[in-house]
Amino acid sequence: MTQLVWNGLFVGSFYALVALGYSMVYGIIKLLNFAHGDLYMIGAFIGFAVLGAVGGVSASMALPLLLVVLLATMVLTGLAGVALERIAYRPLRRAPRLSLLITAVGASFALEYGMRAAAGADPRVYPVRLGGTSVEVLGARLTLQQLVLVGVAVVLMFGLNLLITRTREGRAMRAIALDPSTSSLMGIDVNAVISRTFFLGSALAGAAGVMAGAYYGKIDFLMGFLIGLKAFTAAVIGGIGNIPGTMLGGLLLGLLESFGTYWLGGEWRDVFAFGVLILFLTVRPTGLLGERVTERV
Amino acid sequence: MRAIPLKSFASLAVVGLLVTGCGQGLLGGDGGGETAKADDPIVLGMLIPQSGSEAAIGPYMSNAAQLALDEINAKGGILGRKLELKTADDACDAQSAAAGANKLVTEGVDVSVGGYCSGATLPTLPIFGKANIPMIIPAANSQELVDQKLKHVFLINGTGSQQAAAAEKWITKQGAKSAVLMHDNTSYSKDIALRTKTLLDAPGGAEAVLVETVTPKESDYSANITNVLAKKPDFVYWTGYFQEGGLIARQLRQAGYKGSIMVGDGSVSPKLVEIAGAEAAEGVYATMTQTPETLEGAEGWVAAYKKKYNAEPGPYSNQAYDAVRLAAEAVAKAGGTDGAKVIAALEAMDGFSMFSGPLKFTPEHTLSSGGFQILVVKDGKITLQDSLK
Repeated sequence: MTQLVWNGLFVGSFYALVALGYSMVYGIIKLLNFAHGDLYMIGAFIGFAVLGAVGGVSASMALPLLLVVLLATMVLTGLAGVALERIAYRPLRRAPRLSLLITAVGASFALEYGMRAAAGADPRVYPVRLGGTSVEVLGARLTLQQLVLVGVAVVLMFGLNLLITRTREGRAMRAIALDPSTSSLMGIDVNAVISRTFFLGSALAGAAGVMAGAYYGKIDFLMGFLIGLKAFTAAVIGGIGNIPGTMLGGLLLGLLESFGTYWLGGEWRDVFAFGVLILFLTVRPTGLLGERVTERV
Repeated sequence: MRAIPLKSFASLAVVGLLVTGCGQGLLGGDGGGETAKADDPIVLGMLIPQSGSEAAIGPYMSNAAQLALDEINAKGGILGRKLELKTADDACDAQSAAAGANKLVTEGVDVSVGGYCSGATLPTLPIFGKANIPMIIPAANSQELVDQKLKHVFLINGTGSQQAAAAEKWITKQGAKSAVLMHDNTSYSKDIALRTKTLLDAPGGAEAVLVETVTPKESDYSANITNVLAKKPDFVYWTGYFQEGGLIARQLRQAGYKGSIMVGDGSVSPKLVEIAGAEAAEGVYATMTQTPETLEGAEGWVAAYKKKYNAEPGPYSNQAYDAVRLAAEAVAKAGGTDGAKVIAALEAMDGFSMFSGPLKFTPEHTLSSGGFQILVVKDGKITLQDSLK
């Protein structure tokens, strides 16, 4: 039982990291960024390239080295996210919501098959990998590396939450989420804030990508697709646009999958996860922590 | 004014002539090999995954096919005609495969030499069948492909039931008491897992204690592995592809599993070892048809492939190579590209030399010999463990 909880929390922290970007972008410009999962993939590949560039470090240095690579990758993936917004979404800022959504799907394919053209279709394997021997804790088997990864995820999420609730930057983001046109009248540079939002969300997805690459080892150009859908599900469960809710949603989805697999069998894992998505969309579309917003006509 | 009708009549006649001329050319490519002009190429069509989850496999197969083609063309081709390869993408999914097959048929393919994912190959059978195009399927090996007893379908890879038989034989030979079968719910993988379970369920030998299904393209299988370990098996057989196979082997070992691990032929690739990591991959068994690595006298072929593509041949390179050679041989024997004659030539084929041994088709159009063998990962290399003979 503890094993199931631990499995769920571990996978869930990845979902939560990726889901945050989804949620932030939705919160601020009401766009479901379907290319977000592919930023996770881009992050994994950038991390792979950075590791290759700094390579030749002994295995004992693996963990500190990976943390440095993680930071570098977060910056680069963040910039990729900013570029994505500038190229694909900004020209359509005033277009109907549907065109944005279609563009997001197109951007997703462009990123996937662009990466395939650049790096090939063969899966790649990280040169430095976190494996480690496992220890029993309360009947669950876990490794030190897993704990470090969950720790990194938690630190990143708390950092983000502080940034949003305590800084001027965060206040500007929240203001735009409420009302973009009034915010710009109040002297907020809306475009700059949206760019920074994309930077933050993409950086977190990139971090998750590097961590997945370093832990699981295998990366490929389609790895972002499924996790993108899962992150979307996590965001909906917790309350899309709501940051603490999204973190909670990620962890909950991880747990749901873990227990769903145990109760129903492996073939039901995704049925279970997406079944919950549909349930939430029909019964409580604002998610667990989202507020019910009455839209004024 | 008077001249104009005459002129248009003349141009109409010219156009008409051109159309019938073209028509004949097209017909020649399609069915009547006899009416084809000597310089028309014989077109081989190859449906392979070039995008999607199995995109990595496509080049292994099309490169090897091109290699065979170039060798045959260098010797002057077949019946004085050159061979030409047309590929289409099946993306390992049914819709893309049907579209790709229709495209190949429209392009006037004479023989189909493709097919990797069984789930994607199945819907293409009637499409090629309707166009009277014989299919030599190099890699897909679900029993469902031949269960319909279609006259134009030939498998040059072992079938799922042959592979399951080999797996059962080895699991029993290893003295395992309990085995878990893991599949990814694709037509190919599920077929082998369920057939192996049926064989294991017979009294005596190992018992199949669980059939576990995983979702392909995930990275984390810890939930599945917790289920597997709860049954305390001493043998785990994964029947899917190497992308997941490598992760599953690694995660099984990380979770403290000490028993044997075996994978199916879709997982036999050097990438499996890379993904699992040398430590976790060591000692992993695999059920596989003959490969260049385990075959004597294939060094020359591997060298030729390397020289041309600057890369190692991969899974199903040798079967794709054989499929092209076999197609060429059948066309030569049939004296043309007429579908029915090529099919008859294939059925009559006896002793044609392939990587998997001399070829002779069974009445259901599968290989009569050259079954499965057991490979093992030893010092990071996939080597022969037992030929099960």
